[in-house]
Amino acid sequence: MRVIIFLSLFLALTAGCSEAPQEESVLQQDYASLENLARGSEVRWHMWGGSAQINQWVDTYVAAEMKRLYDISVVRVPMDAPVFVNKLLTEKAANKDTGTMDLLWINGENFKNAMQAGVLFGPFTDRLPNFAAWYDTQKSAHDFGYPVDGFEAPYGRAQFVFEYDTDRTPSPPATLAELADWIKAHPGRFTYPQPPDFTGSAFLRQIFYATTGGHEQYLSGFNPELYAKNAPQTFSWLIDLKPYLWQEGRTYPKDAAALDTLFARGEIDMGMSYHPAHAQMKILEKTYPETVRTFVLAEGAIFNTHFTAIPFNAPNKAGAMVLANFLMSPEAQLSKFKPENWGDMPALEVAKLDEAQRQTFDAVDLGAATLGADELSAAAVPEITSEYLELLERDWDKIILGH
Amino acid sequence: MRHAPTIIVLALMFLLPIVVLVLQAGAPGWRFPELWPELSLDGLHFLAARPRPFLTALANSLGYSLATVALTLAMTILPAKTLAFTSFRGKNLLEGLLLLPALVPAMTFSMGLHFIFIKIGLADTTPGVILVLAMISYPYMLRALTTGYTLMGREYAVCARNLGASKRRVFLEVELPQLLPAMAAGASVVFLVAFSEYFLVFLIGGGSVASFTGYLFPLITSSNRGLGALITLVFLAVPIVLFIALELGLYRYHRKRWMR
Amino acid sequence: MKRGIIHGLLPLLLPYCALFCAGLALTLAQSLGLFLPLGSGEITLEHYQPLIQDQGIRQSLGLSLFVAFFSAAGSVLGGTILALALWRMPPPLRRVGVVSKVGLILPHVAVAFLVLLMLSRTGLVSSVLFQTGIISSPEEFPNILHTGSGLGMILAFLLKGVPFALLLIGTVLFGFDIRLVQTAHMLGAGPLRTFWSVTLPRLLPAMHSAFIILFLYAFGSFDIPFVLGESHPGMLSIRVFDIFFQRDLSQRPEAMAILTLMFVFAALFAMLYNRFAAYLDGWRRKL
Repeated sequence: MRVIIFLSLFLALTAGCSEAPQEESVLQQDYASLENLARGSEVRWHMWGGSAQINQWVDTYVAAEMKRLYDISVVRVPMDAPVFVNKLLTEKAANKDTGTMDLLWINGENFKNAMQAGVLFGPFTDRLPNFAAWYDTQKSAHDFGYPVDGFEAPYGRAQFVFEYDTDRTPSPPATLAELADWIKAHPGRFTYPQPPDFTGSAFLRQIFYATTGGHEQYLSGFNPELYAKNAPQTFSWLIDLKPYLWQEGRTYPKDAAALDTLFARGEIDMGMSYHPAHAQMKILEKTYPETVRTFVLAEGAIFNTHFTAIPFNAPNKAGAMVLANFLMSPEAQLSKFKPENWGDMPALEVAKLDEAQRQTFDAVDLGAATLGADELSAAAVPEITSEYLELLERDWDKIILGH
Repeated sequence: MRHAPTIIVLALMFLLPIVVLVLQAGAPGWRFPELWPELSLDGLHFLAARPRPFLTALANSLGYSLATVALTLAMTILPAKTLAFTSFRGKNLLEGLLLLPALVPAMTFSMGLHFIFIKIGLADTTPGVILVLAMISYPYMLRALTTGYTLMGREYAVCARNLGASKRRVFLEVELPQLLPAMAAGASVVFLVAFSEYFLVFLIGGGSVASFTGYLFPLITSSNRGLGALITLVFLAVPIVLFIALELGLYRYHRKRWMR
Repeated sequence: MKRGIIHGLLPLLLPYCALFCAGLALTLAQSLGLFLPLGSGEITLEHYQPLIQDQGIRQSLGLSLFVAFFSAAGSVLGGTILALALWRMPPPLRRVGVVSKVGLILPHVAVAFLVLLMLSRTGLVSSVLFQTGIISSPEEFPNILHTGSGLGMILAFLLKGVPFALLLIGTVLFGFDIRLVQTAHMLGAGPLRTFWSVTLPRLLPAMHSAFIILFLYAFGSFDIPFVLGESHPGMLSIRVFDIFFQRDLSQRPEAMAILTLMFVFAALFAMLYNRFAAYLDGWRRKL
């Protein structure tokens, strides 16, 4: 008897798994009917949840506006990008045609892995009106050197900066050589998050550019011989400085949040972030002292664009597309740009806006701790193809940690 | 006073943490080397402004933890009686095997189970989470109930049957009341295990099942320690409130039935 | 009769087999190369080979065993001492012991958080020492959380383990017949001898239970090592998490292989420990 009950329970559960995806029909429709289709539905947006500020912006502004404009409820789900890409890979392998994630915040090697495994839905950005209106298709055509092909929609821009406290460090280093000298002069006061953490990995790439003569040589696709020739210089720089790092370089903070905590509590004297307004955000949150400022090295500061994408098995593709479109709108980009909300640089072309709108963007005060747009763009250097990234991370594990 | 060292140790190990948590919750910017931090209610304001995610996570955790208690009870009550009152060859081995899920690292079977769950559609669902939580916590309920039955003995049930009571009545009116302390003990442990679990809910729930531990986890390693401390205090308060309620409930129940 | 027994055990045996055994079986199968999304479908032992050769895995195993042993042993020791101390108190005063339940109720992540708050270089204890002039800068505070030996994790496990051991051992101790101790005194035994020959044997089963449970828990735990663990070597459970969630899908069988070995170790340990404990008891009696 019990066996029968159990079996029927199992059958009932499996019966719900055979909804056919509506892929083709969603891509065929024009945007206005997508908005109608998605009215009253729920969109589950999976994104990195390590910043309370960003979480709050999504939960308040984005959710409220989406409800008001389109009657769509946005549910934010905290989940790291490698984790949800992994989840999609597993779901694809298990033939799960209806998943639970609608929109993803993604870029870089996670995007590449997802594309290569075929777990993303698209191309869809050409169907979104805001993309054609405000964005430069050329600039958003590549993500870490990998072609986007309309499978992800631009969301924001970020640039790598170092953070320091003017109280403790009156004049920060300006070049790589000065940084090395500073580290040696202040043993135990510098560290970086352990790759493959996003920020730690970015720091690794910064050093890679700076120690091997710049980024231009890497722009034409992955070249294994070039890597093999140049990487040793990077690692010998890192090994040279290893004993002067925090904890003598034996152990590294697990992620960017752990690094922030060390810096905030004064255990180290420098922080770093792939988000120029991060320091200002932390000052507003009262986690950093007000004397914190940011700087970039003369050798350049990496910048990238980050995106949103839709999984192949998203249950609500129409809703996800409406959300992606909204995030690209000038209103959302402006709100995101304000440091009390997030301070993330807009991905749209400010030049395409009309005069009044452009002025509202110019008027945003990023705070004393954030470098000005001119200084940032002067130092900006692009990301390179992610094969370099993966090799750097793997070799870092081997050479620095000895795994 | 010769008991002073013990009291001091107890206070340092268990009361001091609470004090520290309260202070940190009220002072997010607490930095070395301040001993007395400047107070700010930012954390509380943050929660009061947007209570929805916090409350959803809390309600969800409470829900699936209580459901786990109910499920483990249903799973183990009959087996506990069988184990207490019968003996057969290999019983010790079986009891040992049945206790294994609480001993071996949960990762060892949950990673494999996750794949199965995806195939049958239980992944990313609350029933799936409840099932897996029941798997790691049922041994505690089993042990508690087995002990309860053993202490109770068979005489009462036999007596009542002899007097003509049906099996159902025997269970509800003779065995159940005597089992209540054991059930309460088992339920307390199962609830705590389910409520505090992070990894399994994260693995099987896949982000779709909101959990209070999932809400707390990112805050712990972040630099926003004030909020982390505040949520931890809630984490402490909820089971305490429930346990007090349980104790009061049991007390009232026993008073009503005139049991010593 | 036999049918009755099976019938009685069915509500448990069914989920046990369908969930626990099935989950284990799949972990084992995937480690052997079966049921893999990217596998060839043939049984192979190739995923076990890198484990044996990889020095990093051996170091992680060593760390997991070290942390598990010392946290379990420390908890049992601490719990026993506290239980004995509480036992000697008059019953009304004994109620203060209920404070230890805080350690039981707090989830593991919260306990790790507390260790961070109190014992990091810029934490509370450091601040106290600074204010009293014992140290003059954070660097002078001992490097508790990053020694590479998992000390931070052990302390966090102790905070959870001592109340647990206290609960198990205290239950036995407080139900102890005081007349046995009094008889021993009357017959001329000193307090140490009484403890060793009369009290301890009755506590040992609870102590052994606590040790096994705490040891195996710390060995496979995820929450505390995730917060307090260090880069190198990492705990075994974190290694598995890393391979499972952060790396290529093709490396998953390796994670499953590690898990299978962990299971075998845990099961063997649980079974053999009782024999070992009985052996120790016989040795103790001879003294």
